[in-house]
Amino acid sequence: MASIISCPHCGARPREEFTIQGAVLPRPASDAGTKAWMDYVYLRDNPRGCHREYWHHTSGCRRWLVITRDTVSHEVETCHDAALAKETEARP
Amino acid sequence: MSEFRIALRPALGSAVKPAPRGVAMTAMPEGHVVQVLGSPQGPDLSKMLLGKNAGASPHAVRSAGPGQWFIVGDTPLSHSEFTTIATGLKPHAAAVDQSHGRVRIRLEGAMVERTLAKGTAVDLDLRMFPVGNSTTTLLGHISVHLTRVDVAAFEIMVLRGFAESLWENLVRMNVEFA
Ligand SMILES: [Zn+2]
Repeated sequence: MASIISCPHCGARPREEFTIQGAVLPRPASDAGTKAWMDYVYLRDNPRGCHREYWHHTSGCRRWLVITRDTVSHEVETCHDAALAKETEARP
Repeated sequence: MSEFRIALRPALGSAVKPAPRGVAMTAMPEGHVVQVLGSPQGPDLSKMLLGKNAGASPHAVRSAGPGQWFIVGDTPLSHSEFTTIATGLKPHAAAVDQSHGRVRIRLEGAMVERTLAKGTAVDLDLRMFPVGNSTTTLLGHISVHLTRVDVAAFEIMVLRGFAESLWENLVRMNVEFA
Protein backbone atom coordinates (compact mmCIF):
# COMPACT_ATOMS: atom_id res chain seq x y z
CA MET A 1 0.00 0.00 0.00
CA ALA A 2 1.17 3.49 -0.77
CA SER A 3 -0.10 4.53 2.65
CA ILE A 4 3.10 2.91 3.97
CA ILE A 5 6.36 3.79 2.24
CA SER A 6 9.63 2.14 3.16
CA CYS A 7 12.19 4.93 3.17
CA PRO A 8 15.70 3.52 2.65
CA HIS A 9 16.92 5.76 5.51
CA CYS A 10 14.01 5.78 7.95
CA GLY A 11 12.13 2.53 7.40
CA ALA A 12 8.39 2.07 6.99
CA ARG A 13 6.53 5.36 7.41
CA PRO A 14 3.00 6.55 6.77
CA ARG A 15 2.20 8.43 3.61
CA GLU A 16 1.47 11.58 5.69
CA GLU A 17 5.20 12.04 6.24
CA PHE A 18 5.82 12.37 2.49
CA THR A 19 5.11 14.81 -0.31
CA ILE A 20 4.51 13.38 -3.77
CA GLN A 21 6.05 15.28 -6.64
CA GLY A 22 4.79 13.28 -9.61
CA ALA A 23 6.28 11.06 -12.29
CA VAL A 24 10.00 10.77 -12.85
CA LEU A 25 10.46 12.46 -16.22
CA PRO A 26 13.64 13.60 -17.93
CA ARG A 27 13.98 17.35 -17.54
CA PRO A 28 14.23 19.19 -20.88
CA ALA A 29 17.26 21.32 -21.63
CA SER A 30 16.80 24.94 -20.65
CA ASP A 31 16.64 25.96 -24.31
CA ALA A 32 14.41 23.05 -25.37
CA GLY A 33 11.55 25.30 -26.42
CA THR A 34 8.03 26.02 -25.25
CA LYS A 35 6.45 22.77 -26.45
CA ALA A 36 8.93 20.52 -24.63
CA TRP A 37 8.55 22.57 -21.47
CA MET A 38 4.74 22.63 -21.69
CA ASP A 39 4.80 18.84 -21.95
CA TYR A 40 7.21 18.51 -19.05
CA VAL A 41 5.41 20.89 -16.71
CA TYR A 42 1.75 20.14 -17.50
CA LEU A 43 1.28 16.81 -19.28
CA ARG A 44 1.19 13.53 -17.40
CA ASP A 45 0.23 10.07 -18.65
CA ASN A 46 -1.76 8.88 -15.61
CA PRO A 47 -0.80 5.25 -16.26
CA ARG A 48 -2.67 2.24 -14.95
CA GLY A 49 -0.07 0.04 -13.29
CA CYS A 50 3.57 0.47 -12.32
CA HIS A 51 5.34 3.75 -12.79
CA ARG A 52 8.09 5.77 -11.18
CA GLU A 53 7.47 8.80 -8.98
CA TYR A 54 9.43 11.31 -6.95
CA TRP A 55 8.50 11.43 -3.28
CA HIS A 56 10.03 13.70 -0.67
CA HIS A 57 10.36 12.43 2.89
CA THR A 58 9.30 15.84 4.16
CA SER A 59 8.76 14.94 7.81
CA GLY A 60 11.59 12.42 8.00
CA CYS A 61 15.09 12.43 6.54
CA ARG A 62 14.08 15.12 4.01
CA ARG A 63 15.62 13.13 1.15
CA TRP A 64 14.17 12.83 -2.35
CA LEU A 65 13.20 9.28 -3.19
CA VAL A 66 12.34 7.49 -6.41
CA ILE A 67 9.50 5.06 -5.87
CA THR A 68 8.06 2.47 -8.21
CA ARG A 69 4.36 2.40 -7.43
CA ASP A 70 1.45 0.47 -8.90
CA THR A 71 -1.36 2.96 -9.39
CA VAL A 72 -3.96 0.17 -9.26
CA SER A 73 -2.93 -1.63 -6.07
CA HIS A 74 -0.88 1.23 -4.53
CA GLU A 75 1.82 -1.39 -3.99
CA VAL A 76 5.31 0.14 -3.69
CA GLU A 77 7.82 -2.11 -5.42
CA THR A 78 11.08 -0.25 -5.05
CA CYS A 79 12.17 2.80 -3.14
CA HIS A 80 15.58 4.38 -3.25
CA ASP A 81 17.32 7.68 -2.60
CA ALA A 82 17.20 9.76 -5.77
CA ALA A 83 20.63 11.37 -5.40
CA LEU A 84 22.57 8.57 -3.72
CA ALA A 85 21.53 6.10 -6.41
CA LYS A 86 22.94 8.59 -8.94
CA GLU A 87 19.69 8.95 -10.79
CA THR A 88 20.37 10.45 -14.18
CA GLU A 89 17.01 12.21 -14.28
CA ALA A 90 16.98 15.67 -12.80
CA ARG A 91 14.47 16.59 -10.13
CA PRO A 92 11.17 18.02 -11.31
CA MET B 1 28.87 35.13 12.52
CA SER B 2 26.94 37.72 14.51
CA GLU B 3 28.34 38.90 17.83
CA PHE B 4 24.80 39.64 18.93
CA ARG B 5 23.54 37.15 21.50
CA ILE B 6 19.84 36.33 21.64
CA ALA B 7 18.28 36.48 25.08
CA LEU B 8 16.56 33.22 25.97
CA ARG B 9 13.49 32.54 28.03
CA PRO B 10 12.37 28.93 28.58
CA ALA B 11 9.91 27.80 25.91
CA LEU B 12 8.14 25.48 28.28
CA GLY B 13 8.49 27.58 31.40
CA SER B 14 4.79 27.91 31.98
CA ALA B 15 3.84 24.48 30.74
CA VAL B 16 5.52 22.17 33.25
CA LYS B 17 2.94 19.91 34.81
CA PRO B 18 3.07 17.29 37.57
CA ALA B 19 3.95 13.96 35.99
CA PRO B 20 1.23 11.40 35.39
CA ARG B 21 1.87 7.96 36.85
CA GLY B 22 2.47 6.07 33.61
CA VAL B 23 4.72 8.56 31.81
CA ALA B 24 6.73 11.36 33.38
CA MET B 25 7.26 14.42 31.21
CA THR B 26 10.17 16.77 31.77
CA ALA B 27 11.13 19.95 29.95
CA MET B 28 14.88 19.48 29.45
CA PRO B 29 17.32 22.28 30.27
CA GLU B 30 17.73 24.59 27.30
CA GLY B 31 21.42 23.87 26.90
CA HIS B 32 22.75 23.42 23.40
CA VAL B 33 21.65 21.88 20.13
CA VAL B 34 24.15 21.92 17.29
CA GLN B 35 23.00 20.73 13.89
CA VAL B 36 25.75 19.13 11.84
CA LEU B 37 25.24 19.23 8.09
CA GLY B 38 27.59 17.00 6.14
CA SER B 39 27.28 15.36 2.78
CA PRO B 40 25.00 12.33 2.34
CA GLN B 41 27.79 10.80 0.26
CA GLY B 42 30.47 11.86 2.74
CA PRO B 43 32.10 9.92 5.57
CA ASP B 44 30.17 8.83 8.67
CA LEU B 45 31.17 11.55 11.13
CA SER B 46 29.37 10.10 14.14
CA LYS B 47 32.51 8.53 15.69
CA MET B 48 34.50 11.73 15.22
CA LEU B 49 31.67 13.80 16.70
CA LEU B 50 31.34 11.42 19.64
CA GLY B 51 35.03 11.60 20.40
CA LYS B 52 35.10 15.36 20.34
CA ASN B 53 31.77 16.40 21.78
CA ALA B 54 29.97 13.70 23.70
CA GLY B 55 31.91 14.11 26.93
CA ALA B 56 30.18 12.33 29.79
CA SER B 57 26.65 12.46 28.39
CA PRO B 58 25.51 9.40 26.45
CA HIS B 59 23.52 9.82 23.22
CA ALA B 60 24.80 13.39 22.88
CA VAL B 61 25.44 12.77 19.19
CA ARG B 62 22.37 11.77 17.26
CA SER B 63 21.82 10.79 13.68
CA ALA B 64 19.33 12.96 11.77
CA GLY B 65 19.32 11.42 8.29
CA PRO B 66 22.11 10.81 5.76
CA GLY B 67 25.09 13.04 6.53
CA GLN B 68 23.31 14.93 9.32
CA TRP B 69 23.61 14.86 13.09
CA PHE B 70 22.59 16.75 16.21
CA ILE B 71 24.94 17.34 19.12
CA VAL B 72 22.91 18.07 22.24
CA GLY B 73 23.67 18.86 25.87
CA ASP B 74 22.19 20.38 29.01
CA THR B 75 24.62 23.29 29.29
CA PRO B 76 24.70 26.33 26.99
CA LEU B 77 27.72 26.59 24.69
CA SER B 78 29.82 29.71 24.78
CA HIS B 79 30.52 31.46 21.52
CA SER B 80 34.08 30.11 21.49
CA GLU B 81 32.98 26.54 22.31
CA PHE B 82 30.61 26.62 19.37
CA THR B 83 33.30 28.07 17.12
CA THR B 84 35.63 25.23 18.16
CA ILE B 85 33.03 22.64 17.13
CA ALA B 86 32.31 24.43 13.85
CA THR B 87 35.99 24.76 12.99
CA GLY B 88 36.68 21.14 13.92
CA LEU B 89 34.08 19.93 11.45
CA LYS B 90 35.68 21.59 8.46
CA PRO B 91 35.86 20.55 5.67
CA HIS B 92 33.55 17.58 6.23
CA ALA B 93 30.50 19.39 7.56
CA ALA B 94 29.00 22.66 8.68
CA ALA B 95 27.67 23.37 12.17
CA VAL B 96 24.53 25.39 12.81
CA ASP B 97 23.75 26.55 16.32
CA GLN B 98 20.13 25.56 16.96
CA SER B 99 20.25 26.03 20.74
CA HIS B 100 17.73 28.84 20.55
CA GLY B 101 15.60 27.06 17.95
CA ARG B 102 14.91 23.61 19.34
CA VAL B 103 13.53 22.44 22.68
CA ARG B 104 13.86 18.99 24.22
CA ILE B 105 11.25 17.08 26.20
CA ARG B 106 11.96 13.86 28.08
CA LEU B 107 9.29 11.19 28.35
CA GLU B 108 9.88 8.32 30.72
CA GLY B 109 7.83 5.45 32.06
CA ALA B 110 6.37 2.05 31.45
CA MET B 111 3.75 3.40 29.05
CA VAL B 112 6.05 5.66 27.04
CA GLU B 113 5.86 3.59 23.84
CA ARG B 114 2.07 3.34 24.12
CA THR B 115 1.86 7.12 24.48
CA LEU B 116 4.12 7.88 21.52
CA ALA B 117 2.42 5.27 19.34
CA LYS B 118 -0.66 7.49 19.40
CA GLY B 119 1.19 10.07 17.35
CA THR B 120 3.87 8.37 15.27
CA ALA B 121 4.09 5.34 13.01
CA VAL B 122 7.73 4.62 13.91
CA ASP B 123 8.13 1.06 15.22
CA LEU B 124 9.22 1.79 18.80
CA ASP B 125 9.74 -1.84 19.80
CA LEU B 126 13.03 -2.04 21.73
CA ARG B 127 14.42 -4.56 19.23
CA MET B 128 13.62 -2.32 16.26
CA PHE B 129 14.45 0.98 17.95
CA PRO B 130 17.15 0.30 20.56
CA VAL B 131 18.64 2.73 23.09
CA GLY B 132 20.60 5.45 21.27
CA ASN B 133 18.51 5.22 18.11
CA SER B 134 17.24 8.46 16.62
CA THR B 135 14.89 9.43 13.85
CA THR B 136 12.94 12.36 12.50
CA THR B 137 9.21 11.77 12.29
CA LEU B 138 5.77 13.26 12.79
CA LEU B 139 4.12 13.24 16.20
CA GLY B 140 0.58 14.08 15.27
CA HIS B 141 1.10 16.97 12.88
CA ILE B 142 4.29 18.22 14.47
CA SER B 143 7.72 17.31 13.10
CA VAL B 144 9.98 15.99 15.85
CA HIS B 145 13.36 14.35 16.33
CA LEU B 146 12.94 11.28 18.50
CA THR B 147 15.71 9.53 20.45
CA ARG B 148 15.47 6.52 22.74
CA VAL B 149 17.72 7.56 25.63
CA ASP B 150 16.91 4.59 27.88
CA VAL B 151 14.90 1.37 27.79
CA ALA B 152 11.76 3.23 28.88
CA ALA B 153 12.73 6.82 28.08
CA PHE B 154 12.61 8.97 24.97
CA GLU B 155 13.76 12.47 24.27
CA ILE B 156 11.74 14.51 21.80
CA MET B 157 13.34 17.51 20.16
CA VAL B 158 10.97 19.99 18.56
CA LEU B 159 11.16 23.40 16.94
CA ARG B 160 10.77 25.98 19.69
CA GLY B 161 7.53 27.49 18.41
CA PHE B 162 5.85 24.08 18.47
CA ALA B 163 7.10 23.07 21.92
CA GLU B 164 4.14 24.21 23.96
CA SER B 165 1.63 22.79 21.48
CA LEU B 166 3.45 19.46 21.44
CA TRP B 167 3.59 19.46 25.23
CA GLU B 168 -0.18 19.89 25.41
CA ASN B 169 -0.65 17.08 22.89
CA LEU B 170 1.58 14.80 24.95
CA VAL B 171 -0.32 15.62 28.13
CA ARG B 172 -3.52 14.61 26.36
CA MET B 173 -1.93 11.45 24.98
CA ASN B 174 -0.91 10.62 28.56
CA VAL B 175 -4.29 11.17 30.15
CA GLU B 176 -5.33 7.53 30.21
CA PHE B 177 -2.13 6.62 32.11
CA ALA B 178 -2.39 9.48 34.59
ZN1 LIG C 1 13.40 9.05 5.22
